Order: sequence, then C-alpha cells, then structure tokens
Amino acid sequence: MPATFACGHCGASLGFAGVRTATCPYCASPNFVERPASAQPPHPAFVIAFAGGAARARAQLAAWLGGRSWFADARLAHARVEDLRGVYVPAYLYSAVADTEYTAAIGEHYTATETRETRDARGELRRETRQVTRTEYRALAGRHVGYVTDVLVSASQGLAAAELRALEPYELGQLRRYAPALVTGWIAEEFSRDAEACRQASRDAALDDIGLALRKFLPGDSHSDLAWRTTVRWESLDPILVPVWVLALRYRRDRPALRVVINGQTGAIAGRVPLTGWKVALAIGGLALVVAAIVALVVRGGAPG
Amino acid sequence: MTACARCETALEAGDLRCAICALPVPAAARASVAAPRAQVLRCGDCGAAIGFSAEAQAPRCGFCGHAMAIEQPSDPLEVAQWRLPFTVDRATAEARARSWLAGRGWWAPRTLAREAVLEALTPLAWAAWRVNAVALVAWAADSDAGAERSAWAPHAGRVELAFRDIVVPASRGLSARECRRLTPHYALASAVAIDDAAVDATPDAAPDAAPDAAIESFDVQRSAARHHAQRAIEAAARVLVQPHIPGRRYRNVRVACRIERQTTARVALPAWILAYRYRGAAYRAIIHGQRPDLVIGRPPLDRGKLAWLVAIAVLAALAAVAAIALRSR
Repeated sequence: MPATFACGHCGASLGFAGVRTATCPYCASPNFVERPASAQPPHPAFVIAFAGGAARARAQLAAWLGGRSWFADARLAHARVEDLRGVYVPAYLYSAVADTEYTAAIGEHYTATETRETRDARGELRRETRQVTRTEYRALAGRHVGYVTDVLVSASQGLAAAELRALEPYELGQLRRYAPALVTGWIAEEFSRDAEACRQASRDAALDDIGLALRKFLPGDSHSDLAWRTTVRWESLDPILVPVWVLALRYRRDRPALRVVINGQTGAIAGRVPLTGWKVALAIGGLALVVAAIVALVVRGGAPG
Repeated sequence: MTACARCETALEAGDLRCAICALPVPAAARASVAAPRAQVLRCGDCGAAIGFSAEAQAPRCGFCGHAMAIEQPSDPLEVAQWRLPFTVDRATAEARARSWLAGRGWWAPRTLAREAVLEALTPLAWAAWRVNAVALVAWAADSDAGAERSAWAPHAGRVELAFRDIVVPASRGLSARECRRLTPHYALASAVAIDDAAVDATPDAAPDAAPDAAIESFDVQRSAARHHAQRAIEAAARVLVQPHIPGRRYRNVRVACRIERQTTARVALPAWILAYRYRGAAYRAIIHGQRPDLVIGRPPLDRGKLAWLVAIAVLAALAAVAAIALRSR
C-alpha cells in the first residue's frame, strides 16, 4: 500500500509506492513525516506519462548546463546532481466557454498637411508645408467569443504555479486516462491545493489569455483604453498528473543547492542559473569604457579646432 | 456516435477530450464502484512487484524485464473513411502531362517538351479532412462606413455562420500551396465509403479510373487535426463575414469563432503525381484527378533567358542613374 508523507518544510504531500525516502524531493528537507492519507483526495482523471528515464533527464541537464552563458558560474559545469527524482505533480486542466464584452478607443491614422512659418538666414518669412500622420480615436464596443482550453494550473505545494508554467507546454495529445499502472513505482504527490483556489487561478490565467487575444483582435492602427468583462460558463476542471524531474545541483560548498525542474515529457528545463559577480562587473565596466571612448571621440571631433 | 455535451461536436471512439472545446469525455461507467484503495501490480512472468518504465512506456519488471501491455494514449493516426473516385484515367493524365510540358511559355526552356523524360505517373489519393460546423463568429474590422478624418472607422459585430465542406489538407506528400490549388475543384458529393461494399455497389457510384491508387495515410494525429480545422474555419469565416461589414471598403478583418456541432470526415482526394527529369534534375507536377485541365507544377527556368533579362535590367538601372547624374549637373 502506498505510504503518504508530508514535508514539514514546503508542505508537499506525497504518496510513495514501493519507495521510501528520507528527504523531500522538492526542497531536500529531511523534515519529512509519514501521515495517514487525507480523507478524500481528488482522484486523477488523466495522466501524462514520463517519456524517457533518468538517463535521458541527466543528458538533457548536461546539455542545458553546457549551453549556459559565459556569465554563469563555471563551477556549474562540474556540479553534482543530488536527488534526481521523477515526480508526478498534481495539477488541474481547465477549459470553459468565454464570452467577452469589450470597449476600446481605436486609433485610425490619417495624413494632414501642416503649414508653418519660419524665418530664413536673411530674416525673410518663409512658409513651409509638410505631411504629418495623425491619429483619430474612435470608440468601439464589441464582443469576443471562444473557448478557453488547455489551461494547466499546479495543485502542488512543492511545485509553484510559476515553476509549472515555465515547464509548459505539455503535449496534451499524449494524455492518457489515469490508471494506477501508469504511476506505479514513481512518486506521486497528492492534490494538496484546494480545487476552488485552483479554479480561481485557472480563471485568472484564462482572463490573461483573453486579454492577449483581444489586443490582437482589435482593428485600427493602434488602440487605447481597452476594458473588458468576461463571462465564463461551462467550466471544467479535471485533476491531472504531469511528469516532472526535480533535482538539486550542488555546485559550491558555501552555497545552497540549486533547484532545477525538468519537464518529464518534453525535456524542457527551468531553473535560475547563478551568475558570477566579477564576470558581470567586467562586462559592465568594458561596456562603460567603450561608451565613454565613443562619447570622447564625438565631443573632440565636434569641438571647433 | 455521441456528441460533446458542451459544443455538440461529434466525438470519435477513443477521444479523451472534445477536439473543439477540450471538454473531457466522461469515462465509461465502471462495473465495480468500490475500487480498491491500493493495487500492487505483479509481473506476469516472475510475479515480482513492478513499476512503470518511462523507456518502455509501460509497467516493466525490474527483475526479468517483462513489459506489461497497457492502453496507449488515445491519439491514433487516422485512416481515410471516404474516397473520391478518379475521373481522369492514366492515358488522359499522360496526354495532359505532355501537353502541359509543351505549353510552359517563354520562361521555360524551348527543349522542355522534347527532352523531358517522364519517369513516373502515379495515382495518389491524398489525405484531407472534410469539416462541417456552425459557429458564432464575432468580428471586428475597419471600413469606410462612418469614416471622418481618417479614411477608416472601426466596426464590430456578431453573426452565426454555417460552414459546409471545408476541406483541410492533412497531406505530408503535397505542399500546402499545391493542396490549396487542388481542393476547390473536387466534386465532394461523389465521395464513396472505403471498404463498404454496399455503397460501392450502388448503381449511381461513379466508376473509378484508377482503383489501384495508393491511399495516403493521415500523417497528422487527431489532436493536431483540431488546430488545422480551426485555422481553416477561421480563414473561411474571414471571407464569410465580409458581407456583414458595413461600407464598401474594409481592412483588418479579425474573427473569433465559437465553433459548435463540428463533424469531421477523413477523405482521400484523387491526384496524379508526375515525376519527370530534365537535363539530370528531377521535377514534379500534379494533375488533378477529376479536372485534367488543372496541372500544378514549377517547370525548370531557362537560365539563358534569365541571365539576359538580369543583364538588361542592370544596364537599364545604370542608364537611369547616369541620366539622373547628367541632369543634376
């Protein structure tokens, strides 16, 4: 029977089948206690299976570390991988029908002839005409309709919503209906965030998507004062498990381990790489010197000789 | 066939989610309501407890390596359900190929028809989806109606539109440009069901001029088909909303579609693929399988004529520059 553990540090709640662990796979905290399974955890409807094993994840990590910029800490290339774990992370897959009413001021360009009077070198009045582009703003009210699909929101305490977003997209064409056989032998976190909170987070993400779509939808040469109100209906929120490799990179004794997460399906990697201070300072100093040299040249060249 | 509860789009066997609105399809009612709390999977060969292997994409025994067969993701590659008969037979296609090579105009080499070697003329039933749907379309555009200082004024509206027989290419063998030119000229009403003797035997079914044609498999998975179909419907909607825009001139036509009741049929469309060789290089042309007058292909260019034309253009440009320089003096 799978045992359920709760991390005392980050709050992740994990079910292990056939595996015992002393540390939390998300935050490497040893503060990890076995607890009875929560009363009614949501039952996953779908799962995206891991594609490729730990060896592939390590190869992708090595390629990622090798491809970091010159500014990254050089010791990263020789970092030690600690606790590489494949975790099925709980999330919700949201979709809905969205009806949006919007208002905006649409800018339409037009050309106007501008006349202005100037005095020439001899002090005579001269009239100059030129063509200028101006914008006329017209109010527009309309509607936008469509479906919001494929919004994925983390229901995990261990993997924040922003981290999951950095790992997206998942290839949802490879979705499978959940079966215990698909996750057996792997760590599966329980759904530890409230479904209602996830629904609200999904709605917010959907509204952001609609805002982006609206900006592309509006006619005219430009627009301003865009305001919209979206009504969502026919919402669906389905529990899903997504595959994530979580690991800690130990690259310096005096620094905490660097946490890296890898998309278990596509191999996309998210992690903030520590930069080396002196390299950044050197680059900024070099750039400042070049700018100063150009300014000096221009000033000297422009000065009457 | 069942339909999606949210948008009434037809669902196909194995669909986990609706292809249009992504509403999950409920799992078939399970026989036992009281599912066991925990389940230990055991290897069918040696009886050890086993885990899911990411490499094998199936539960695999760590001791003896035996992998268990499980349900695969329901995103199958499709096969055609309908085909349109060839009405252009091989002899007609070959004659048409020769006349097309002969009539390639001034840009093609004069010796093309004489020296081109026809290597193969193959009948191919290429893959496409035939989509029907209705959609609520919200549109926004600029038009000259109500224009003030600018020549354009913004307008917006909504309209319900029906889309019938939208053909969405699913072919990997033909290019998008070739498919676009071929599709408007098929008689979709002549489609016959593949492997359906009852339909084939109907007396009014047109005889097929190339019954041995290879049927292209759908190289695009069902989940990817959704994006293709949606883009095609949006492209069609941009044209269909134009009569609803006030004024006589318009620009920046934008549409947002809420598609409903979409049905998709997989059809195989007839075309003859001509492969020919001219002076060592390989070329190809497509002859429409139902309209022999429609041939699509890029014949070789006469490089000598092209070089002359470039030389003349350069000389003309130099002469123009010289004339301007002389005038300004």
